Amino acid sequence: MNLQRIRMAPPRYWLVGVVVLFLIGFPTVISSFLASEWAQALILAIAIMGLNILVGYSGQLSLGHGAFMALGAYISAILAHHYKVDYLLTIPIAGLATGLVGFLFGIPALRLSPLYLALATFALAVVTPSLIKRPAGLTGGVQGIGVVQPDPPGAVSNIFSTITGTAMTSDQWIYYVSLFCALVLFWVAWNIVRHRPGRAMRAIRDGEVAAAASGVNVRGFKTLAFGLSAFYGGVAGSLYGLSTGFVSPDTFPVSLSIQLLVGAVVGGLASIPGPLAGAIFAYFLPIESSQWVPNQSWIPAQIAATVKNAGPAVSYGVILIVIMIFAPNGLVGLARSGYSLLNRRLRGATDRETGQMPPDPQTV
Amino acid sequence: MQEFLQQLVGGLAIGGIFASLALALVLIYNAMGLVNFAQGEMAMLATFVAYALVSQGMSYWIAFPVTLVLAFAGGIGVQRLVIKPVERAPILTLVIITLGLATLVNGLAGFIWGYVPRSFPSPFSSESVDLVGVFVSYRDLGVIAVSGIVLLAVYLLLQRTTVGLTLRAAAHHPEASRLLGVHVSWMLALGWGLASAVGAVSGIMVAPILLLEPNMMQSIIIYAFAAAVLGGIESPPGAVVGGLIVGVTINLAGAYLPFVGGDLQLAVGLAIIIGVLILKPNGLFGRAAVRRV
Amino acid sequence: MALLELEEVRAGYGPTSVLHGIALEVPEGGVVSLLGANGAGKTTTLRAITGGVRWTGDIRFRGHSLRRMATEEIVRRGIAHVPEGRGICTELTVDENLRLGSHLRRDGPEVKKDYDRVFEYFPVLKQRRRLSASTLSGGEQQMLALARAFLMRPKLMLLDEPSLGLAPIIVRSIFEIIRSINETSQVAVLLVEQNARIALDLSMTAYVLEVGRVAVHGAAAELRGDDSVRRSYLGY
Repeated sequence: MNLQRIRMAPPRYWLVGVVVLFLIGFPTVISSFLASEWAQALILAIAIMGLNILVGYSGQLSLGHGAFMALGAYISAILAHHYKVDYLLTIPIAGLATGLVGFLFGIPALRLSPLYLALATFALAVVTPSLIKRPAGLTGGVQGIGVVQPDPPGAVSNIFSTITGTAMTSDQWIYYVSLFCALVLFWVAWNIVRHRPGRAMRAIRDGEVAAAASGVNVRGFKTLAFGLSAFYGGVAGSLYGLSTGFVSPDTFPVSLSIQLLVGAVVGGLASIPGPLAGAIFAYFLPIESSQWVPNQSWIPAQIAATVKNAGPAVSYGVILIVIMIFAPNGLVGLARSGYSLLNRRLRGATDRETGQMPPDPQTV
Repeated sequence: MQEFLQQLVGGLAIGGIFASLALALVLIYNAMGLVNFAQGEMAMLATFVAYALVSQGMSYWIAFPVTLVLAFAGGIGVQRLVIKPVERAPILTLVIITLGLATLVNGLAGFIWGYVPRSFPSPFSSESVDLVGVFVSYRDLGVIAVSGIVLLAVYLLLQRTTVGLTLRAAAHHPEASRLLGVHVSWMLALGWGLASAVGAVSGIMVAPILLLEPNMMQSIIIYAFAAAVLGGIESPPGAVVGGLIVGVTINLAGAYLPFVGGDLQLAVGLAIIIGVLILKPNGLFGRAAVRRV
Repeated sequence: MALLELEEVRAGYGPTSVLHGIALEVPEGGVVSLLGANGAGKTTTLRAITGGVRWTGDIRFRGHSLRRMATEEIVRRGIAHVPEGRGICTELTVDENLRLGSHLRRDGPEVKKDYDRVFEYFPVLKQRRRLSASTLSGGEQQMLALARAFLMRPKLMLLDEPSLGLAPIIVRSIFEIIRSINETSQVAVLLVEQNARIALDLSMTAYVLEVGRVAVHGAAAELRGDDSVRRSYLGY
């Protein structure tokens, strides 16, 4: 068993190492504008990680995670704008406060069936923009609040300019802040999932009654999952405000929650590396498709304009449906089952114990 | 007092619209224990179809039933194509699929018709009539009448016909129904068709009020959720009563609660959903759910 | 040619196989009982006939194979299956349950006559027509299930433990009615029972299943008379 674990472990750790190095080095070779796009993808990845903890590991579906992001973003923006708190300091505050709200939200959510929870959170996502508009003095109403993007600190900027020969922009600095948060939160999620709380939450997802019967504190862990998930959402929201430079009701439409769901589903619910893949996909799909289409000269301009508007929704919809029908474990699940299939082929038909958990047949 | 009564009638009219959409949700919930998040978007698409027919010169009262038939066929098509392959999947998988469907239909409508709001014809004049001292618009009365007729028709279909009987049997007792020769899978498709047609009525009724555009139903579906949950999500009469209560509530709240006004009416819908789910999850007419182990 | 013929039927649930090659026949208008201990495969045999489990081998009804046919189609060919647990639609009223039994029939006047007979057999159902079927007692639900099956005008009825959980006096009257339905309407019956004594009284032939195989079969009277069969399989 131990030997097998060592044999199985390296590829995974290697992969993590390569990805991290890539993400650290990436901005030195791309434009500042692209770096800000990648920062947003990383931020989405954080929120999706949170959503994954909730859906994939405790079986509660939230369709309103955009609302938690909105809360985190507004907490940061209000602290920074009205109370002149350093924005970077507001990030953990926003995370913790949103986490607390999520934890409290999780208590009544315990009483709801998964279906009702989905319904209530969806309604929350739809209503969020109009709720934000209300205390206009605090939230800036329809206008929202501008967020001043910080300059990179001297030391970091110096290192960066020695490598690239150009000064570091605040977009690039925000990218690194987001990356730092993402890595820390990735590490936290990884640890939670692989230890007792993760096992408890998986047990709850797979059957609450059985989990309770084997001594798992079902209520405790479900609310904990909600709180944790909201914490991730809050941090992501706070960073989101930072990277967009302002927060307004329209920053957090229902489609943001859908985008998160797409990312989670594409990456694979109940997987920790999935969110990154899912976020990159969900973030860049509409951007790329909307840039590609208008550049095709053979497509009439009017159609191109419509595709630009309607394209993301159509492709998100098709992706959600197709993935749920054909690959309910998402890209990571697909890769995993492909990998184990390949392994089996290579080792011959006599299937041996691979030392790996079999992929979850259905993670929702 | 008079203004109050006018608000009340207006609330009943809009409530009738919510009731139709809520009834569509209930029909699908009964058939497969699923909330169809795409119900509103399907209704929106049907409304665009009606719009296209009318702008081709078809008279409103012909376009209306034609649209319902098309919506019915569309609902069956959706069930066969998208839902049937995953009939036995976990409920959250189905929820995500209907959400995907909602997103897809929304995008498609945007793709075909764009996002510029269009005015949609109403067959009823917006003039008012004096009903024992209360001025009520013909439009409100017309909406109430149409909703009432549709709801009554659904009731008669379900309760008084053999098809309705087998539909109900297939929804509640699929195994037993199969042994009685009921084609359960087709009954589910029929349920989707029926729900789609009933939902389309709400879209066609609300379009003259809200202006037609792809996101038109986004708020209406929240009110319909509220109505269905309030009535007890498995109860067709509950959906109707729930719809009327929600319609009147948001109308009165918008008119008389200064902090609600026009823009927080949607929040009232959310409050109803969350309040009912927490305090009385079975709604007004629902039975206590049996928790299956 | 028998009405129903099973040949080398094997069936099971997923990887577990329950039937290991069953052969049996139900003649036109006959009453056949299927006896055996819990888990012997009696219910699975009935479910195989109406397509509720996957099977191999062959099952023929009126000479036509039922292979790959959907439950609905099999039932429409004239087999009424009263399943384990009776299959009452508790969300519906008694009357609606009965109407589900006759909903495929187009012979109006005959249907009306059959309703009269049903209410003759089970007057209690007439009294409770408008009530929800969930309000019926266990015995009344069994009556409703039987009545509903009768209204389908089947050629063959599959009855899964009609005596289960009922008071002896009710069991006796239900079996009397089964006998009467069989005799007056020429409906063949395949009866699964734990209560071997009462089943053998009603039937002409009987099959005793033991872990998925037919252990003994023969005329009901013979099995009843054979002490060793009685003691080793039927337990009375």
